[in-house]
Amino acid sequence: MEQDAQLVQQCLQGDGSAWEELVRRHTRRIFNICYRFTGNRTEAEDLSQDVFLRVYRTLGSYRSAHGGFATWVTSVTRNLLIDHYRRTKRDRITDSLDDAMPAVENKQSSARRPDELALLGELSAQVQRALIKLSPELREAVILRDLQQLEYGEIQRTLAVPEGTVKSRINRGRIELARILQQMGVRPA
Amino acid sequence: MNNWTCEQSEARLSDYLEGLLHPAERMAFDAHVATCKECAAIVASVEHLVTSMHAMEEMEAPPQLIYSILDKTLGPRDAVTGWRAALAWIRGLANARLAYGAVSVAATFLMIATASGFSWRKPKLADLRPATVYRNADRQAHLVYARSTKFVSDLRVVYEIQARWHEDAQIPTTPEEVMPQTAPGKNPGSSDGTTPSSPRQQNRADEVKRDLEVLAVELAPESVVSLTRRMQ
Repeated sequence: MEQDAQLVQQCLQGDGSAWEELVRRHTRRIFNICYRFTGNRTEAEDLSQDVFLRVYRTLGSYRSAHGGFATWVTSVTRNLLIDHYRRTKRDRITDSLDDAMPAVENKQSSARRPDELALLGELSAQVQRALIKLSPELREAVILRDLQQLEYGEIQRTLAVPEGTVKSRINRGRIELARILQQMGVRPA
Repeated sequence: MNNWTCEQSEARLSDYLEGLLHPAERMAFDAHVATCKECAAIVASVEHLVTSMHAMEEMEAPPQLIYSILDKTLGPRDAVTGWRAALAWIRGLANARLAYGAVSVAATFLMIATASGFSWRKPKLADLRPATVYRNADRQAHLVYARSTKFVSDLRVVYEIQARWHEDAQIPTTPEEVMPQTAPGKNPGSSDGTTPSSPRQQNRADEVKRDLEVLAVELAPESVVSLTRRMQ
């Protein structure tokens, strides 16, 4: 964490290699959050780029006293993901109408990139499909807690909501996710 | 706490799984779940889900993503040349998977080179020519195949002989046993009172001896023939 703060200082002094180091340290984590939230590899790549672009432009506003750099970057990511969710809501409504038609649903599932499924593994892919069906508030809470394994305090700072709300969202998100998986025919081992 | 409800179980499920319930609450939770099938099912499902999610590994980010981000933020990079390029290339190799792959490839080349008769003590460039490598590898492969065939054949013959030997060991048919023996101190032509082998046993011994000789000549190299003769 201290190393991040030091790298930020070097970046602000115009050190390009310090910025490169920061990008290398956080890209994988940010890409994973974006992928878990969107369920789409291309969108996750684009969003990750947007996150770092915004971080780069607003680096001067980061204050280490307010929390770790990682939490700050996660918070920027979360805001962009919510913006992206709202922007693409209309497309998803159309998609969900299409999903109601079995033929189209089959076509969509078969169109899923096989390399994505191979990367995730069977259960992971099922969890990913179920995650997309959660509301964005519950989804982000579950991703941060159970996939990123952040502490409640970090999630609270990232989402800027009270701890009770964080706990409640995580709990509801887990239960909802388990029910969706059950509806998908996935049973606990 | 006796009137713990399904709603309470659901609301406190994560606290229960993370061990954040007070002992009294935990007891009430357990007591309720023990009698409520619906709650027991959801507890099991969520517990399994959380365990599974914690075990999931992060995906690797696409390799080009970092460069795209750097290009967008720092601008397109200048082409790196000279020792910096070499250093950057070596840094790129600092990857466990790539190192494992490189070691595998090196080991494969090592095995091929050794199999093709390449001398590591006196390395010659001519030995690395594809035609030479192929010719040497071909020769080595044939040699190994021939040796293997010979070994298997030897084993088979010895086994055959042993099997036949044991088969006939039950009756005294070996030449030593059935051939008329001259007792020590006995004059040729005189009787020592012993009963010689019956003609039938002698015939059987001759037959076994003949079979062994034919088998050895047909199937085995000279070593086996000599072994057979020694056994006689």
